[in-house]
Amino acid sequence: MNAARKTKRARAGSPAAARKKKAEAAVMMSAEKLTKRFGGVVALDSLELELRQGEILGLIGPNGSGKTTFFNVVTGIYPANDGHVRFDGADITNASPQSVYHAGIARTFQRSRLSLPLSIFDNIMIGNHARLNQGLWFNLISRAAFKQEFEESFETARELVHIFDAPLADRMFDPVAGLPMIDRRRIEICRALISQPKLLLLDEPSAGMTHEETAQLMDDILEVRGRMEGLSIIIVEHEMGVIERITERCVVLNFGRKIAEGTFKQISNDREVQEAYLGIE
Amino acid sequence: MDIGFLAQYLMNGLMLGMIYALVAVGFTLFFGVLDVIKFSHGDVLTVGAFAGLATFLGLEAAGISHPAIQILIVVIVSIVLIAALGAVIARTIVLPIRSAPPLNTLLITLMLGTVLREAVRLFYPQGANPQPFPALLPTNSLTLGNFNLRLDNVIMLVAGVAVIVGTQLLLNRTKLGLAIRAVAQDEETARTMGVNFTLIVLITFALGSGLAAFAGLMNGLYYNEINFGMGLLLGAIGFSSAIVGGLGNIYGAILGGFLFAGLQTIGAVALPFASAYKDVFAFGVIIAIMAWRPTGLIQEKISERV
Amino acid sequence: MNSGEKQTPATLWPALAGTALTIVYVILLLKVESQTEVIGLLVVGALAILATSWSGHLARAGQALTHHESILHLLVIFGALVIIGFFREDHFTLLLLTTVMLYVLATLGLNLQFGYAGVLNFAGASFFGIGGYTAAVLGAHTPVPDLLIILAGGVMAALIGSILLLPVLRTRGHYAAVVTIAFALLFKVFLEVNDILGGPQGLQVPGMEMFGWKFNNNIEIGALELSFYVNYLIVILLVLIAAFALVRRLERSWVGLNLDALRLDETAATCFGLNIVRWKVTAFLLGNFLIGIAGALSGMVIGFVAPTSFTFADSLILVSIVLLGGIGNVWGLVLATAIVVIIPEKLQAIQEYRFLLYAAMVMLMLLFRPEGLLPRPVRHYFPGWRPK
Repeated sequence: MNAARKTKRARAGSPAAARKKKAEAAVMMSAEKLTKRFGGVVALDSLELELRQGEILGLIGPNGSGKTTFFNVVTGIYPANDGHVRFDGADITNASPQSVYHAGIARTFQRSRLSLPLSIFDNIMIGNHARLNQGLWFNLISRAAFKQEFEESFETARELVHIFDAPLADRMFDPVAGLPMIDRRRIEICRALISQPKLLLLDEPSAGMTHEETAQLMDDILEVRGRMEGLSIIIVEHEMGVIERITERCVVLNFGRKIAEGTFKQISNDREVQEAYLGIE
Repeated sequence: MDIGFLAQYLMNGLMLGMIYALVAVGFTLFFGVLDVIKFSHGDVLTVGAFAGLATFLGLEAAGISHPAIQILIVVIVSIVLIAALGAVIARTIVLPIRSAPPLNTLLITLMLGTVLREAVRLFYPQGANPQPFPALLPTNSLTLGNFNLRLDNVIMLVAGVAVIVGTQLLLNRTKLGLAIRAVAQDEETARTMGVNFTLIVLITFALGSGLAAFAGLMNGLYYNEINFGMGLLLGAIGFSSAIVGGLGNIYGAILGGFLFAGLQTIGAVALPFASAYKDVFAFGVIIAIMAWRPTGLIQEKISERV
Repeated sequence: MNSGEKQTPATLWPALAGTALTIVYVILLLKVESQTEVIGLLVVGALAILATSWSGHLARAGQALTHHESILHLLVIFGALVIIGFFREDHFTLLLLTTVMLYVLATLGLNLQFGYAGVLNFAGASFFGIGGYTAAVLGAHTPVPDLLIILAGGVMAALIGSILLLPVLRTRGHYAAVVTIAFALLFKVFLEVNDILGGPQGLQVPGMEMFGWKFNNNIEIGALELSFYVNYLIVILLVLIAAFALVRRLERSWVGLNLDALRLDETAATCFGLNIVRWKVTAFLLGNFLIGIAGALSGMVIGFVAPTSFTFADSLILVSIVLLGGIGNVWGLVLATAIVVIIPEKLQAIQEYRFLLYAAMVMLMLLFRPEGLLPRPVRHYFPGWRPK
């Protein structure tokens, strides 16, 4: 078990080398002057942000600094008041959540939003919506064709779950309600990854888990990224160990503004960042 | 149409609006403190009206026939009984399942309403038939052309206004009202401030149910007849009014109540050949309002955490 | 359905015996008249269920049958035919059976809306009524063939229901409830005051006639005489089988998954590309279509329609059945309908109290067993299917 973990980590490659390579990669997503107000509260204040293809970006900041709001604006849950979001060459500002998903952005939620009574397989298939035939005729009448698609999707989902946890892959038709938090987080990430998105938004994946469990989950995420060519990730996280381990670059928010940007080392030495976290005026 | 008829319609609309508003305020109070819809509210009203009638018959049997004493005792007994009933319902049915999906609360109280309605039909003597309700208020009237201003109606309107204003003052000017509003704002904070949450919920349900009993008596006095099924329609109208006004908002509920009565009255005046359609018209407008403003005319502030 | 052959027939025997006993039990329950016998039978039935579930036989038989679903389906159809055959001359019991089957059909539609998509519909009886009135009007005034009239009942229910689409789609939770409740009350008042549709007296519905065969005549085959209700029961059974298969397939497809996803978490569902409007509309219209068909058939069987049959209380009964059976479980609907329709008919002592008892039953269910009598199992797209 431990040996397997180690090889996984080794395969993920050295962060420094990866960083160098990514610097030349194309811009995957960018936010320009992105602003979101709730009444008088400015949750995002002219935010500028750029993400390169294949990069893992950490988004950190104190509670209420606008991290989750950023995800919600990008994924179309909240409309932006001002500014633009560009993704993969297209302007997706204020696009509906559906079209953001179809454009290739998938996400997880701060408070795990799985459908608890449904099985593991069902939950993952919800994320696979874009790749499944949604026609009424196909679903209700041509059952042979449906069965073929079902079997193929099942294999894909099983393989993906297998990367995260082999025993879990044998329980694909168990309801999610009976599973511990770590398995739920795994399934949520599988649900986001099954559609092979270009950008994955992870909202506090460590919430509700132990350090040990978080470390495992991060290894798995890195392994999956190794397999999915060009997957970019933005991760919101409070657990600084996680940020240090897996991100290549960090953006720090405070009161909806970007106050620092750089490697974890750079930002953790930044005076303004320390003030924001410690609350020094 | 002459002015007398219009005045008659106006009076009628005001009476109905007052009854509806009283029911709607109950819905909105419950929603405020517990975020639940208590659909048995209309049938609690029916029970209130029947409790009042039974009290009257009891007084008659006991030989107490002074009208002022009669009305006083009928009103007090009915309101106190129904307030207690409301608190019991909150304690035994609404509070235990408040963590269940909101739909379950809606359904369980719909079913409770059926139980109350059926209980009145089956267990009140001759409960399946409409019961005559005594005219306990002086029925002197003033006739102006086609307009017949009845004293009992005036008394009821004034009493209704007094009750609504009283409720308003209770909520805004007293410590109890402050506690109720605190619970409605944020249960957790209210608890940490030392508010006895369960007690406040029970008091709120008692208050709302008492208002329903008052509305039930008004309805009986106005139409001189009550029946076991009256609460269903009144409950649905009160619920619609509270919803249209924006749940949790007491002014919205009052507005909604008078709006519904207004719609019915307009329906009756404007569709002279088909005044029977006034309820169809009123409910149709309610559906249209819901399509236009999905969370009511005075918007409920919904913020879902994602 | 074709896999799982490795299961030996031996494991099926208890299930087969159980089914045979159930058929005999239902026949007995429908047959006996004396109140003590009815009560005795109900007690025996309840004890048998408790005993077999305690000994694990019930669960095993259920498992065996869910693995061999085609056998289960054949057994149920066979059972229905045996029961119909047994009561071939008994008008009253046959009418009771049609009522059960039509309620199952209607609640299948409600289950689509409420059980799967989470779209509240407190106007089920109204859409049932629309089907019935459509059958009355078309049957009396047009030469439209009866088979098409049945479909027209469903189409009308879906069409009139689509007036509510905008508010139903835009509102959620309590706000959505008020839309259908208002419609249910509006519909009943409308029927009562509308003279063209017969007002409070309602309308006559002509009996069904298919290929020159009049359904309202008793059937005589040699010496064998069958009640005319058998005609209707066969047609209703066929329609019910089709609707059941449709709903089952829908549940076991991506469509069923979509409906579950939007019921359980609309926001999450939209973030995975689900078109909420499309699926809510599909569920609402299809559900009303099934309810309307049931209503049209019901009108033809009973011979008349009147506003008093389509009240808000009737809508609540339909919702109660879905809740009692176990939200989303189609077999639960069958069980709950049987309980709700048959027991008060047989047990005259409680007939007067039936609304009270239904309501109390649902309250207890919501308080102590909110998942219903037969909780809905996790979805298996192809029962018995095993990953390779």
